[in-house]
Amino acid sequence: MKPRVTIVALGAANRRSLAYALARAGADVRFADEPREIAACDALVIPGVANVGYLADAMDRRALRAPILEAIAAGRPCLGICAGFQLFFEGSEEAPQVRGLGVFRGTVRRLNGPKSPHMGWNRVERDGEAPWAYFAHTYAPPAGVPDASAITRYGEAFASAGERGNLRGVQFHPERSGRYGATLLQRFVALASNGDAG
Amino acid sequence: MLARRIIACLDVRDGRVVKGTKFLDLRDAGDPLACAQRYVDGGVDEIVVLDVSATLEERIASLRTIAAVAEAVDVPVTVGGGVRGVEDFARLLDAGADKVAVNSAAVADPELLSRAARRFGNQCVVLSIDARRVAGGYECYTHAGTRAAPRDAIAWAREAQQLGAGEILLTSIDRDGTRGGFDLELIAACARAVSAPLVASGGARDAGSFADALLAGADAALGASVFHDADCTIAEVKRCCAAANLAMRT
Repeated sequence: MKPRVTIVALGAANRRSLAYALARAGADVRFADEPREIAACDALVIPGVANVGYLADAMDRRALRAPILEAIAAGRPCLGICAGFQLFFEGSEEAPQVRGLGVFRGTVRRLNGPKSPHMGWNRVERDGEAPWAYFAHTYAPPAGVPDASAITRYGEAFASAGERGNLRGVQFHPERSGRYGATLLQRFVALASNGDAG
Repeated sequence: MLARRIIACLDVRDGRVVKGTKFLDLRDAGDPLACAQRYVDGGVDEIVVLDVSATLEERIASLRTIAAVAEAVDVPVTVGGGVRGVEDFARLLDAGADKVAVNSAAVADPELLSRAARRFGNQCVVLSIDARRVAGGYECYTHAGTRAAPRDAIAWAREAQQLGAGEILLTSIDRDGTRGGFDLELIAACARAVSAPLVASGGARDAGSFADALLAGADAALGASVFHDADCTIAEVKRCCAAANLAMRT
């Protein structure tokens, strides 16, 4: 049986693009916007392509904050992409009035790069390797956040990935990042299938 | 280091890739999915799909074509054609797009850019400008190049960025499909005026012409007929740009 991966559908995301990529990575993909669906999920993805303030408001309007936090606390594999990754932090300069999920420590800042947004392919520096990934964002977590697992440079270094246990976040778009992105999604789907077995 | 991008553009109509000259005399140029796959295999950095008759026919871009392309490729897909409001952004994203390009509707209602950016973030909002050279500057055109808008292209790019556009897709109508080389003056003027990423379009001739567009200040350069007709390959373009010390994804 294919591992089930649930995409949180909050009304602003390239969710279909992501669903195609997760399916290519071997997942049985479904969308969810109800608390009980989140509570029943095996593995969760919060997609990007959104204003993080819109994302947080949409999450709270649908009463999804508590079930998402419970899924993370239970150690179920959770992946945040772009604005979804940013939502894992305590807050963001993009929407200062909005409270993030706070599962990663730190505040998302406006990126101080040569152009804005940071748009296109850049290198993800991690463990001595530097594969190319596709980025499209104006804000980013600072390089020094405690759970940073990779950095990328654009004017300044920022955290392009974060990781703690089964909680993962990436500032780039693995669904649109060629072979590296596909590998990353395959690993996440494998994590989801281990969760099934355990 | 952020790489400059080489983009392949699929102008589509009735489920086929088409290509004209200066937006006229459209001819068939192949199957969208086959074209997209060939370019991605060749190392293209992004695919743009523009439904060239959508606005004129008062409908949204062909969702079936977009979905077929989006499902098959693992590079970003920007979609344009017939976008009238924020809900159309959602519909195109739900078909598989990653970014949405808008021209006519934004000229008619510039605040649309702000509303879309508040929901999807400005990185999702691509302002498409079709510019034609006039005495003393460049004038904007809407509705697939059929209607002049009383706007200076450079001033409009600047205003659109302030409203929420996160990328400018700048097409020279004069050069479109001509293989006359990109309009480097237009590119340089726009690059000076905006800090959002700039995609240069119209006039691609050979590998060197892409390097020229990037050296003039574009962050990405887009080709259509030059790739459809296999005048040069993506790999040749990237080699030529890298030789000019432009950062390329390899």
